[in-house]
Amino acid sequence: MKPPSYLVAILVVGFCFALRIPLEADPVSHILVQLPLLAWSGVLITPNGTGRRSEWNRGGVATLLVAFFTIIFWMLPRSIDAVLSSPTMELAKFITLPFGVGAPLAIGWARAHPLLRGIIKAEVVSMLGVLAFLYIHAPVRICNAYLVSDQHRLGYGFLFLALGLSVFWIAPLFIVHTKRAVMPTKTPATA
Amino acid sequence: MIKAKHQPQEAAVKFTMLLAGVVLLLMMVFGFIMRAAQGGMIEIDQALFYQIMTAHGAGMVGTAGLTGISILWYFTGRYVPLLAGVFWTFLGLFLTGVVLILGSIFIGGYAGAWTFLFPLPAMSGGFWSNEAAATFLLGYIFIGVAFLLLHLEIARKLIAAYGSIGGALAWPLAFGNGRAENAPPPTVVAAMASTLFNVMGIVVGATVLVSSLVNLMIPDFAVNALLAKNMIFFFGHVFINASIYMAVIAVYEILPEYLGKPWKTTRPFAIAWTMVFLFVLAVYPHHLLQDVAMPAWALIMGQVVSYLSGIPLLAVTAFSLLVYLRQSRVMYWDLASALLVLGVAGWSIGSAPAIIDGMIAVNKVMHNTQWVPGHFHIYLLLGEVAITFGFMAWLVKDPREKGLNILDLAGFAVYLLGGVGFTLMFLISGALSVPRRWAVHVPEWFLQDRLATGFALLVILGALLFVVSYAQGLRKKRTR
Repeated sequence: MKPPSYLVAILVVGFCFALRIPLEADPVSHILVQLPLLAWSGVLITPNGTGRRSEWNRGGVATLLVAFFTIIFWMLPRSIDAVLSSPTMELAKFITLPFGVGAPLAIGWARAHPLLRGIIKAEVVSMLGVLAFLYIHAPVRICNAYLVSDQHRLGYGFLFLALGLSVFWIAPLFIVHTKRAVMPTKTPATA
Repeated sequence: MIKAKHQPQEAAVKFTMLLAGVVLLLMMVFGFIMRAAQGGMIEIDQALFYQIMTAHGAGMVGTAGLTGISILWYFTGRYVPLLAGVFWTFLGLFLTGVVLILGSIFIGGYAGAWTFLFPLPAMSGGFWSNEAAATFLLGYIFIGVAFLLLHLEIARKLIAAYGSIGGALAWPLAFGNGRAENAPPPTVVAAMASTLFNVMGIVVGATVLVSSLVNLMIPDFAVNALLAKNMIFFFGHVFINASIYMAVIAVYEILPEYLGKPWKTTRPFAIAWTMVFLFVLAVYPHHLLQDVAMPAWALIMGQVVSYLSGIPLLAVTAFSLLVYLRQSRVMYWDLASALLVLGVAGWSIGSAPAIIDGMIAVNKVMHNTQWVPGHFHIYLLLGEVAITFGFMAWLVKDPREKGLNILDLAGFAVYLLGGVGFTLMFLISGALSVPRRWAVHVPEWFLQDRLATGFALLVILGALLFVVSYAQGLRKKRTR
């Protein structure tokens, strides 16, 4: 039997909290494991169809913007540094990532136009590429809490994640589904 | 078989082609000025020469991309319903990019060539500011985003209609037991393949553009120069080739109306386009044959793939066209059909000097000579641009009229003569080791420069006739 998704969400948050010290000791596991897991817990607690008819969220734009602005805040090295030195910021992270990123992203994604979804995916891959460049080439230490060698490893982490996501999103598009195909033919010339 | 009932976005594409025609003319005038200056016929400030060269390169490559993707958009719109708003957004972003680029060049003084090779944008020697270079790069990013948006819409509609990327590339026919009658039309195959490699090229280009921007603002963020060059030439090679591959869709769609039989997707055709997809991505190291720090395998790959890359598509397009032309009993010539056939011929012929320059032994002595602009002017001026003018002529064609009127004939003859002469002067100069990208030439090189200037004038005259005839055709079509 499949466990209810809110139970999985609690387990995920509990895992992130219980193992926060080893996870946060390394920027790779902090940024690329703990933060996405917390956001995922927000996806899990969002019931299907939430906000599907609300006028204020047409095309999912409003909730997607909430998610993006929250992500932007947590992309700042200064925010990551603050988490490690302030319990209040740590608490803010555990609240805002599920409720400010995961849940609004799930609500917005369900209503987003397929073209917008494609743009978001492209943006994610390219932004990970830019972050990889910045973290690998930065001439200074970006986070006070982590070493320069750590930030280089994080940069490569961004790069591999970008490559992995590209393959994950693009590879299925190569598989031929003949039953799905409509195969339109030619229309008469119109000019 | 389900008949598609989609209408291409005619008004948007017609407007874009008018803009493109005017820009092409302007860029040709820039080319004319440069050749006249090199031949000592006029005097211009050397800094201005390099600004004009930058605008000419960026403008021509951008316009080739714009016209190529407009042709692709127009004909793909026959098979899948494309969102009109996406095209207008594309055009808005593209024109914003153009304004930024022109501003950076003619106001900011940027003159680092369209290839923005790292670290040149940041090392102007006082000729332009970092802000001007950044504006130029930002302009490119706007244009890149515009293309990505359009390709995204095309890809998702083709994948939805044909089941997958493989389905749109006719892989069941190419590599499985699919039947030709169930295969997607040539336009779909070409649109899918072009979309794939152009997206890859633009993504790589965007990455190096952003890296260069960061470097401009914070020089301590150093980019590996060899990696940057690889990325730039991967992007540049793929983008300019994509413009031709996208434009050739006009040949697949328009010429069958003249030939009286459809252009079909056959197994060799489907295999050829998949090979093209791979070769376009793999051949780019032939631009870096003089970079001794490149790994030997990459340079060898560049040379070997150069031999191969022209073959598949030219074989199925040029050879098929010859067969169709020979077999057709109803073929007639007007401006559109003449220019489209010229486009395929120019594209085919232009690949020969390209392959020659793609050989390491030749490239050692020829790469920095006018041989290189010689080859790419053949397959742009007599290839992609000829197809573009052919498409424009077809868009405004009066179905009641068949044949070439005197003005069309004059325009075509002048354009052909000018184009052949102009490109030959480049090739001859290249063979005589005349360097490319030099503002000042010694008197011994003046003869070819001056002849080329005359031929450039003929090209401009021909192009002017095409654009004026297109504008008149638009007006007539509106009143009809």
